[in-house]
Amino acid sequence: MGKTIVCQCEDVTQGDLEDAFEQGFRDLESLKRYTGLATGLCQGKCCIAHAARFLAALKGGDEAAADPPRTRPLLQPTPISCFAGPEELSASPASREGQK
Amino acid sequence: MARARRLDRSSDNPYPHGEQVEFQYEGRPMLGQAGEPLAVALLAGGVRIFGRSIKYHRPRSPFCLHGHCSGCLLRVDGLPNVRSCRTALRAGMQVERQLGWPGSGRDLFRTLDWVYGERLDHHSLLTSSGTLARMAMGFVRKMAGFGHPPTAEPGPPAPKRRMSVPAVVIGAGLAGLHAAVELGQAGHRVVVLEAEELAGGRLCDASCKLAGATGWAARRELLSRLSALPGVELRLGTPALAVYGDQAVLQVLAAGPDETLALEPQRLVVATGAYAPLPQFEDNDLPGVLGPRALDRLVCGHGVLPGEPVLIAGDAQETLELAAALVERGIALAGLVTDRPEPELPAQLRTAKVPRVAGHRILRARGGRWVQRVELAPAGRETPDLVLDCGLVAAEAPAAPAFELAHHAGCRVVFRSALGHLVQTDAEGHTSHGQVLAAGHCAGAGSAEEARLQGQRAGLACALGLKDEPGLRQRLAALKA
Repeated sequence: MGKTIVCQCEDVTQGDLEDAFEQGFRDLESLKRYTGLATGLCQGKCCIAHAARFLAALKGGDEAAADPPRTRPLLQPTPISCFAGPEELSASPASREGQK
Repeated sequence: MARARRLDRSSDNPYPHGEQVEFQYEGRPMLGQAGEPLAVALLAGGVRIFGRSIKYHRPRSPFCLHGHCSGCLLRVDGLPNVRSCRTALRAGMQVERQLGWPGSGRDLFRTLDWVYGERLDHHSLLTSSGTLARMAMGFVRKMAGFGHPPTAEPGPPAPKRRMSVPAVVIGAGLAGLHAAVELGQAGHRVVVLEAEELAGGRLCDASCKLAGATGWAARRELLSRLSALPGVELRLGTPALAVYGDQAVLQVLAAGPDETLALEPQRLVVATGAYAPLPQFEDNDLPGVLGPRALDRLVCGHGVLPGEPVLIAGDAQETLELAAALVERGIALAGLVTDRPEPELPAQLRTAKVPRVAGHRILRARGGRWVQRVELAPAGRETPDLVLDCGLVAAEAPAAPAFELAHHAGCRVVFRSALGHLVQTDAEGHTSHGQVLAAGHCAGAGSAEEARLQGQRAGLACALGLKDEPGLRQRLAALKA
């Protein structure tokens, strides 16, 4: 038997999703935490939609997948040199106003 | 299996095309064209396996070619996990594969994949005794993971810049470009952020048809309109990385080729498009199985055909148009597999001798290091009734809109089985966040026409949010009718 890959980054298979559902992980956040889906290099760009459809089909309704797991910056792999260095980028607008 | 070959390029092709250069792949010289993506040069050079997967060491190769998946990761000039589809080829590049023992080409760890047929449950692997568990952990740490730490010197810190602008558009695809045109025509300053080196999004696809014109022609026309607008600044190769929407000032973080930007727009239009997920069938990650847009970009755009004949599976209009575009270029098709029993075909396909398999879906892909055949089954059956030999596969999967950046900002995201997670908008593109609008495939557009219309509406609504003008209001009302 071959595998049907759901998440290519973390090698999560359709079988993993089914097993996780059986064990009671029946929402997107729990599925993500238990299987490791959407935690790889692409951060779920290619697999969250599958997991959502899987849940919606088994639980009967789009509401089952209504909330996507929290997405966090950064959206893409980015070299640290983009943020490193002495220059300040993240000063809050208020503190910047104060400097003027 | 046919060898990889390069096709003749038509003059209207928007993809870059440089002179021939030499680079090093796994210690041996290889030739490619300067400026083309490294992944494309390798596929043209006959490379099949780019790397191994993290757990089962399955062979991997580019799948999406748009910088979204992890199929094309390589070690380049001493840096691990470089997305080779997003890396322009330069002379003298040192390229290595990064996972597997003794190497990625022949990898003994792959036996694990065969031993554990359907899945290996790492939660309960060797957990009966502490000693066993520690040994297993040590072994897993040796074989799993991605690459080794970099040996290259880190680059110099990028200059940082903070900019206040009236409007920012994320994504220079169909919706984003049209939104930018509307904003520019209304006289507003707008910065358009595009992750790719090439603006146009779907308009770069040979399969894209917009109001009868080809996507490439529509793209040229749209970009020339855009360049005539003095207020529009198009920044290519500058992916938006984050949106901070819960602070006093809306902020967009982006990393350009030579500076990092923190933009503070009064209004933001998110037009980030959609991703290509893996189609769901057995061994769907086999090298040679690509998303339709990836195959379009590789074959029609860059003119590289790594295998032949090509099998196309899918029902979307763009997928059928892709089959027609391949036929037009004289490429042999192994078959056109559609779910629907009687799809409406583009004219080229009705006359061409393309084996059509209607009412079927792919059950599994077969082949060792590259796809060699696919097994097909009628709807609802789990046993194949047809096997087709092929050297390349483009298989469609249900949509996955790129909702993340709007989600960062706090916009409401909803789920629809047919469309995926999408940014919820009203008819003018307003999201639940007062300063953020969304348009195009990330907001649920299903076709090029729809994406264009949504982009125009969002652009106008955004312009109206910056400055109320009766003329714009009338135009927006006309577009909504």
